[in-house]
Amino acid sequence: MSEILLQIKNIRKWFNSQEKELMVIDGVSFDVREGEFISILGPSGCGKTTLLRIIAGLEKQDEGEILLRGKSITGPGQDRSMVFQDYALFPWRTVLGNVLFGLEIRKIPKVEALEKAKKFIKLVGLEGFENSYPHELSGGMRQRVAIARALVCEPEILLMDEPLSALDAQTRNVMQSELVRIWQETRKTIIYVTHNIEEAVYLADRIAVLSRRPAKLLDLVEVELERPRNRFSKEFIELRARIFNLIQG
Amino acid sequence: MRVKDFFIFFFSIGIFLVLWEAYYWIFISNPFVLAPPSKVIVTFIQLTLGDPKFADSGFQMLTDMAYSIYHYALGFASAILVGFSIGLIAGWSKTVEKLIYPIVELIRPIPPIAWIPIAILLLKLTHTAAAFIIFIGAVFPILLNTMYGVSSVEKKYVEAALTLGATKTSTMLRKVIIPASMPAFFNGLRVGSGVAWMCVVAAELFGVSQFGLGYKIQLARLYHSPDVVISYMLAIGIIGLILDRIYRLAEDRLLSWRRGFVVE
Ligand SMILES: Nc1ncnc2c1ncn2[C@@H]1O[C@H](COP(=O)(O)OP(=O)(O)OP(=O)(O)O)[C@@H](O)[C@H]1O
Ligand SMILES: [Mg+2]
Repeated sequence: MSEILLQIKNIRKWFNSQEKELMVIDGVSFDVREGEFISILGPSGCGKTTLLRIIAGLEKQDEGEILLRGKSITGPGQDRSMVFQDYALFPWRTVLGNVLFGLEIRKIPKVEALEKAKKFIKLVGLEGFENSYPHELSGGMRQRVAIARALVCEPEILLMDEPLSALDAQTRNVMQSELVRIWQETRKTIIYVTHNIEEAVYLADRIAVLSRRPAKLLDLVEVELERPRNRFSKEFIELRARIFNLIQG
Repeated sequence: MRVKDFFIFFFSIGIFLVLWEAYYWIFISNPFVLAPPSKVIVTFIQLTLGDPKFADSGFQMLTDMAYSIYHYALGFASAILVGFSIGLIAGWSKTVEKLIYPIVELIRPIPPIAWIPIAILLLKLTHTAAAFIIFIGAVFPILLNTMYGVSSVEKKYVEAALTLGATKTSTMLRKVIIPASMPAFFNGLRVGSGVAWMCVVAAELFGVSQFGLGYKIQLARLYHSPDVVISYMLAIGIIGLILDRIYRLAEDRLLSWRRGFVVE
């Protein structure tokens, strides 16, 4: 078994909304292994984005801590890149410019950076669109740019927040297999937030299933299905049903 | 421009000139009071070519244009420098914004022209005094627009940059805040430039510097030469128009990424 990269320890989080203390995360703990594809699954509004933002260092937890290779996370860092629910591409930069962003920050020499950016643009299948601006792309294409932009930085962990939720079912299926391919090629650790059970079962090695708000960890489900996975296989459907009942229950 | 628009453009100008010419000959007919367009065109060309008839008494269009543009450039460049830097810092830091807000709100309503006497007292009748008035006129639109642009940069861009490794403030400003607020900055630049150009004329009219288009307008009035006055007015209008076009063009070039989500 590969080693543990990230330890999420007893995280609690409250928000102040309209003078009221709103508890969003109630003592969630789990480990993330190096190189694994782990999915955080939970009903809408349960606190998934909040948990991911805490891991990214964009939000502070009120209790508990997160250790990355044993070191506590205190803010955003170059070891974690995030793909946002609404992409957040820089509209003033082209596809190539967006992908180059992280490399410029890391002061990678121009020629090398360009080569690398092009490689990742190819990886997400956007060759030929290097010089397009985000507003000239479809939702699915923007998504791919966001993924390339985060991947090219070669972070230890890629955080993804429902990146495919805006797509139609067919495009989403295509993107899911693309994602598995990219993950297999790059061997990054991916933490993937979704509220879609089928998506989690299709993508992940393990699924952290969260309850309704305030989010508690209901179970950490191992998905022991061969890839590429068949969405219509008996095992697949059974696992879906099991997780469905877990959340309902 | 399409052919039809082109036609309408010249038709409209033509009508205006005809009415003006007719008005002169019917109601005025006095070369010391007003000049018809036919006369103005001749004078304008003579002034531009440096005809001795005007040049000998100091009226030379190109020289005066150069002085006015010099005043404008000096004042406007300092306004950009100051307005942009302060706008950037004030947009970034709420404390600085609160700090400069009272000062800005107090000074901003004072028309630039009201600064002319103090400029003359402080800086004498110099180019710097003229530039100072222009600076006062242009600095606030640039400052306020930049500040607005910076403070309304969407949080998601900042967060995206943070998770891509841009954790240093200087990097964040350079790579996210400044490019994202460029549209607002350019807006300030265009408004500021318009005000600056008006201030050039006002400052020179008052003789803040004894050179330039505005100053010569005033001088030509003392010489009772309305044809010269109007020629200089025309020059002021043309240069103002060209300046505006230059900024629009630069904006279109540099901010082409906005195409598609700007409703115009
Ligand atoms: N900044 C904030 N201030 C106050 N309340 C917040 C804030 N951010 C989130 N919340 C609240 O916390 C709860 C969880 O939000 P979060 O965005 O983490 O949910 P989610 O699981 O990602 O939902 P979805 O699936 O719809 O994206 C919601 O009830 C939301 O209203
Ligand atoms: Mg969410």
